[in-house]
Amino acid sequence: MTTPDYSIAHRRRSIELGLVIAAGVITAGAYTLASLGKNSVIPPRILPFLGVLLAVLLAAHVAVRRLAHGADSTLLPIAVFLNGLGYVMIARLSERLAGLQTTWTFIAIATFVVVLLFVERVNDLARYQWHFFGAAALLLLLPMVPGLGFSSGGARIWVNLGPINFQPGEFAKLALALFFAGYLSERGSLIARGTRQWGRFTVPEPRDLLPLVGAWAFSVVVMVGQRDLGSSLLFFTLFVVMVWVATERAGYLALGFALFAGACFAAYHLFDHVQTRVAIWLDPWSRYDGKGYQLAQAMFALGSGGTTGTGLGLGDPTRIPEAKNDFIFAAIGEELGLFGATAILLAFVVIIGAGLRTALRTQRPFEKLLATGLTTILGVQAFIIIGGVIRVVPLTGITLPFVSYGGSSLVANYAILALLIRTSDASARRLGEIPDRPTIRERWEARRARRHERAPS
Amino acid sequence: MNQRIRRLAIALLALYAILFVQLNIIQVGRKATLDADARNTRLTVRTFNDPRGEITTIDGTVIAESVRSDPGSEHPWKRVYSDGELYAHVTGYYTFAYGATQIERVANDVLAGRTAEQQVNGLASLFDGGNTTGTVVTTIDSKIQSAARRALGEREGSVVVVDVRTGAVKALWSFPSFDPNFLTTDDDDLAGDIIRYLNEAPGDPLLANAYQQRYMPGSTFKIITTAAALDAGIIGLDSVFAEESEFLPPQTTDPITNYKNKVCGGDLIEVFRRSCNTPFARTALELGPEKLTAATQRFGIGESLPFDLPRSAASTFGTSDFFEDNLPLLAIGGFGQGNTQMVPLHMALVAASVANGGAMMKPYVIDSTRDHDGRLLDRTRPSVWKQTMTPESSKILTQLMTEVVKNGTASCCFQLANGVQAAAKTGTAQLNGPGEPERSHAWIVGFAPVDAPRYAIAVMLKGTNAEISEGTGGRLAGPVAEAVMDVALTR
Repeated sequence: MTTPDYSIAHRRRSIELGLVIAAGVITAGAYTLASLGKNSVIPPRILPFLGVLLAVLLAAHVAVRRLAHGADSTLLPIAVFLNGLGYVMIARLSERLAGLQTTWTFIAIATFVVVLLFVERVNDLARYQWHFFGAAALLLLLPMVPGLGFSSGGARIWVNLGPINFQPGEFAKLALALFFAGYLSERGSLIARGTRQWGRFTVPEPRDLLPLVGAWAFSVVVMVGQRDLGSSLLFFTLFVVMVWVATERAGYLALGFALFAGACFAAYHLFDHVQTRVAIWLDPWSRYDGKGYQLAQAMFALGSGGTTGTGLGLGDPTRIPEAKNDFIFAAIGEELGLFGATAILLAFVVIIGAGLRTALRTQRPFEKLLATGLTTILGVQAFIIIGGVIRVVPLTGITLPFVSYGGSSLVANYAILALLIRTSDASARRLGEIPDRPTIRERWEARRARRHERAPS
Repeated sequence: MNQRIRRLAIALLALYAILFVQLNIIQVGRKATLDADARNTRLTVRTFNDPRGEITTIDGTVIAESVRSDPGSEHPWKRVYSDGELYAHVTGYYTFAYGATQIERVANDVLAGRTAEQQVNGLASLFDGGNTTGTVVTTIDSKIQSAARRALGEREGSVVVVDVRTGAVKALWSFPSFDPNFLTTDDDDLAGDIIRYLNEAPGDPLLANAYQQRYMPGSTFKIITTAAALDAGIIGLDSVFAEESEFLPPQTTDPITNYKNKVCGGDLIEVFRRSCNTPFARTALELGPEKLTAATQRFGIGESLPFDLPRSAASTFGTSDFFEDNLPLLAIGGFGQGNTQMVPLHMALVAASVANGGAMMKPYVIDSTRDHDGRLLDRTRPSVWKQTMTPESSKILTQLMTEVVKNGTASCCFQLANGVQAAAKTGTAQLNGPGEPERSHAWIVGFAPVDAPRYAIAVMLKGTNAEISEGTGGRLAGPVAEAVMDVALTR
């Protein structure tokens, strides 16, 4: 037996370190440029800023190095790059929000480390699928609870918990992906083959389908009830994609699209706000003085950015309503131009690539489905909001992962990132790229068991 | 599952490709359209936050410049117009919410440093923080311009001085004017209120009456009728006109009278210096609609003045077809009444063309543009706009107009210092109908010195008060022209 070669994993970590530092330096550089552009001064606390930034990034890197040594090398740096660029844009728009976003970034990266610490074997999560189902249901219903939930910007998706407000929907998507992955990895093949004859078709047992359809219908109904079309669309896509990948039956894809088209048709005719969304998507200009203003301003912002952008701090993105949040992509497009906006697109393409590569590399159905689901969440969510801002699809308010302002979104997305990294690490372990040593908890439990043996009652 | 995951990857990639294509369409393809949208304030804001170059007079007085705003101001730079009222109709204004006018508008690219040449020259200074703004040097002479304001006083009207050989405008003054400094306030609503107030104020202070407005020219128009008749060969210095107090043109029962119904006649010099009406009514009819309108077109009447400031007015006379059916109007048009209307700047050019052998130069007020380091970017090359008459006719007209100053309607009031001889024609444009109280514009147009002409001038006082309406062009406008030309000829 030859000595295993672990150099590939070591190299991944070196690459990740380099990229993370590069992302940090880009962030600090952009931060300085934005300040120079806006106020013609070098930010007074730039060195402490760079120091703290690098410390946080290195903490995240060290966590991956220690806890997920074999993981993909691009996921963390790309997330950090998006987070940093978003932070620079938010700081340029509002100093007050920048302070809050800093706090949220700390909490999100802490969450990232905690998830890596506690979820040691990602496959174990499959066991808790019904817990996740319950959690998703609870999270989705929370904003509807009187006295707890409240509306902001027309959507009742907020929950007030003492000093902090959060959007439970951001966490619900994670719980739903975990539930779908768990359920479909067990019953996927049953659903795919079908056992019951129904005319010419072989259909699955209703018993097997019920929880899935229930989960989907539940989330869609709740979302429509809360007027959160973006999340509703995201959950729907997540559901269709995961069922399709798990069953390998194109019929489900077709059924999904049919259901989707039906839902769109119904929503269009049932809800005024959906009609408005479609109308301003097709023509924001004639509604410039009303609901079309935001999209028109986004168009102006992107146009004024042109190819190379106005330069950080030199544009006028404060004219776009919600520039810090749903419309942050337009603000980036204005100040960094087509080049900067394309960099954001490419970053998400890299995330999708790394996420789906993780799904392909692992052999375990649960991990495969989970990685697929989580990647779909990030990729589709970014598509929905960017497409909404640049009028590829009707605008549905949702955050741009890692970039937009907002604590719930940032924390939830770093949790998703941690799970992807954990999954990636798990397959590296099984492929022998890193030694499959027992985890901390396994070692601790083994020690307890040994102590138990040594001291019989 | 792997095959499905790969397909998912392709599908997601396709979605992002669509995003990329749409991004290109917006940021590259539709950029120009979006930037040009009137509702898009981004470009204005950016331009507004940059400094602009200076506008100066030909003798180096800075009449518009950008200075640092007071701390706490919304915009880092503020446009300051020194003696703003005096030059308002030349500089125009540059505001955030209400756009720009005059030089601030037409020379915007130079002032903001956005011409290709400035951008290229500015590349070097890009790194040392220098700016690329440009300077606009106007042809206006501060001394002549000030003299025009002083001489006109608080009477509504215009004074225009042009260089007869080049068409360079040396003074362009109209009263009332306005102070553009009031419009550069940070408070857009206040600026809007001021603009609305000025728009409704009597005398149209926002309008540069000297080139954006036209008025009935009265007898000053006889220069054009005479030039047309001389060129056509139907009159000459030897022509003699009947002594009469009135003349009945065809198609009417309403006779044409001379000023104050006087009996007037004699040779061409005599009727021109005394400004009889009946001889020019007869001459106009003798020329006929076709020839006279063709002559007015040779003077550029009917066209907007080819001035380098925006929205210049066009003088009007009438069409040949119209006059065929309205011969009495052609007759009174021959001495500047009826439908005839002339822009004051145009009248100055008419006088200048007499002084310049019949060649009417294109008027201009931008002498040259320079970059931030004083290098010449562009200089206006004088060019002929119209050949209004033959050189021979211009010689005869010079003689006629000199007689007006020596022994005619301007003899009282256009005697220049140091014995410099001027040539001129006065005009008193009758605005009231028969039986109404007297109302008239007072005009004088002329040039000096006669033997080597340098400057031509047009002075117009609007008949908005009794003092002007009861006087004549010679007595009222003459002294204004005299005072201004005395200053101009020392320059």
